[in-house]
Amino acid sequence: MPHQCTTCGRTFPDGSKEMLSGCPDCGGNKFQFKPAGETTDEQPSSPGDMPSDAGREPSADDRKPSADDRKPSADDRKPSAAGSHPSASDDDGASAADDSASSPQPTESQSSDPPSVDSQASESETADTQQSDSEHVRERTEEDVAQASARSDVVSPDELDRASRDVESGSSATESGPDTPADPEGPRPDIDDLRDELNEQFESIRIVSPGKYELNLMELYDRQEYIISLQEDGRYVIEMPDAWGISDE
Amino acid sequence: MGLLTNLKDSISRVTDGLFAADEPKRIGIYGPPNAGKTTLANRIARDWTGDAVGPESHIPHETRRARRKENVEIERNGRKVTIDIVDTPGVTTKVDYKEFLDHDMDKDDAVRRSREATEGVAEAMHWLREDVDGVIYVLDSTTDPFTQVNTMLIGIIESQDLPALILANKTDLPGSDVQQIANAFPQHETIPLSALEGENMDEVYTKIAEYFG
Repeated sequence: MPHQCTTCGRTFPDGSKEMLSGCPDCGGNKFQFKPAGETTDEQPSSPGDMPSDAGREPSADDRKPSADDRKPSADDRKPSAAGSHPSASDDDGASAADDSASSPQPTESQSSDPPSVDSQASESETADTQQSDSEHVRERTEEDVAQASARSDVVSPDELDRASRDVESGSSATESGPDTPADPEGPRPDIDDLRDELNEQFESIRIVSPGKYELNLMELYDRQEYIISLQEDGRYVIEMPDAWGISDE
Repeated sequence: MGLLTNLKDSISRVTDGLFAADEPKRIGIYGPPNAGKTTLANRIARDWTGDAVGPESHIPHETRRARRKENVEIERNGRKVTIDIVDTPGVTTKVDYKEFLDHDMDKDDAVRRSREATEGVAEAMHWLREDVDGVIYVLDSTTDPFTQVNTMLIGIIESQDLPALILANKTDLPGSDVQQIANAFPQHETIPLSALEGENMDEVYTKIAEYFG
């Protein structure tokens, strides 16, 4: 649940209108925002995510265990990790271009067990894109290994560049990959459909990029409070109905 | 007791009448960007008060804050109608700074203009809900009126039971097609005009007095 009342702890889904006039339970007007990735809720998709993330999310969630297994396997559990993901080799086509060095720890993983490089590379591609999202659900021991690795290694500029490219191309790569049957939730929804769905969910003003806005006129008309100032960082100031008596001309 | 009640009733009747007479109706000038809303607002304000409302421009979203001209007294056929004119930013569903780059504007200015225009649309929609007693809906008669924004706004205005006057502006331009606008909104009367040239303003004022008087 992305929004939580800081007074009584009640949570609200992203896009909820209930909280616009204060918490219905306690009347509190301070809320904290928790992105879907911060909780262990298995939400199929979060309305607050960017469309490209949402398009990729179902498969990424499914793969979390394999991505997590991979890390320790690079050090000491390689055979079991490789054996537990027979479908991983299906990823070859999608990840062939990145085979050479897309693992976060290239020196360790590549030198330790060459036959599994393909599966590592393909999984690491997913892991790269999901690294931040999935870390919170890692087992403690796995996290320790990853943390230790992160502390001891220094990422090279080359890897950083590659990782950013992986994120950008992540959704198309996983969509076009031949391993989609591994997804138990059925066919992945089309990215355009998801974008449409998200657009329907945006409340009144959607900041597409700096200087580019989409407006939901009905929402702007329907809401009692109105937006009086958009900030450059994406925040905005609204005038609440309570304040009308004071600030109205 | 009965005397007091009668006295109270007559006082409230008098005060109601005073307020009704004193409070001019707020007429919002709405429409898509670049329809000529500010040109019309300035034309009305100059004709009846001598002042302008705001700067006009061929660059879209020149008006990014609602501007009001109060106590505009319009005289028609011996009747006086006092209105407040609210010139609103052009309503649209998308604002993109790139459309301003063609108008000799650098990127920072274009992004800022875009942000202000978006705030302006939010404000215009809010005014429509809260602060407007009637609407003058201005359309550029050289462009297709069948748009999502026009349909939505006219729908909102109708749902609010607000008196609305539809003006087919820019009749001085060669591509002007007033009939197309009349066909788009057959439930409303469409008045042709050129706010820029001042053509047919007499009829516009007559209709303003009739609709909002």
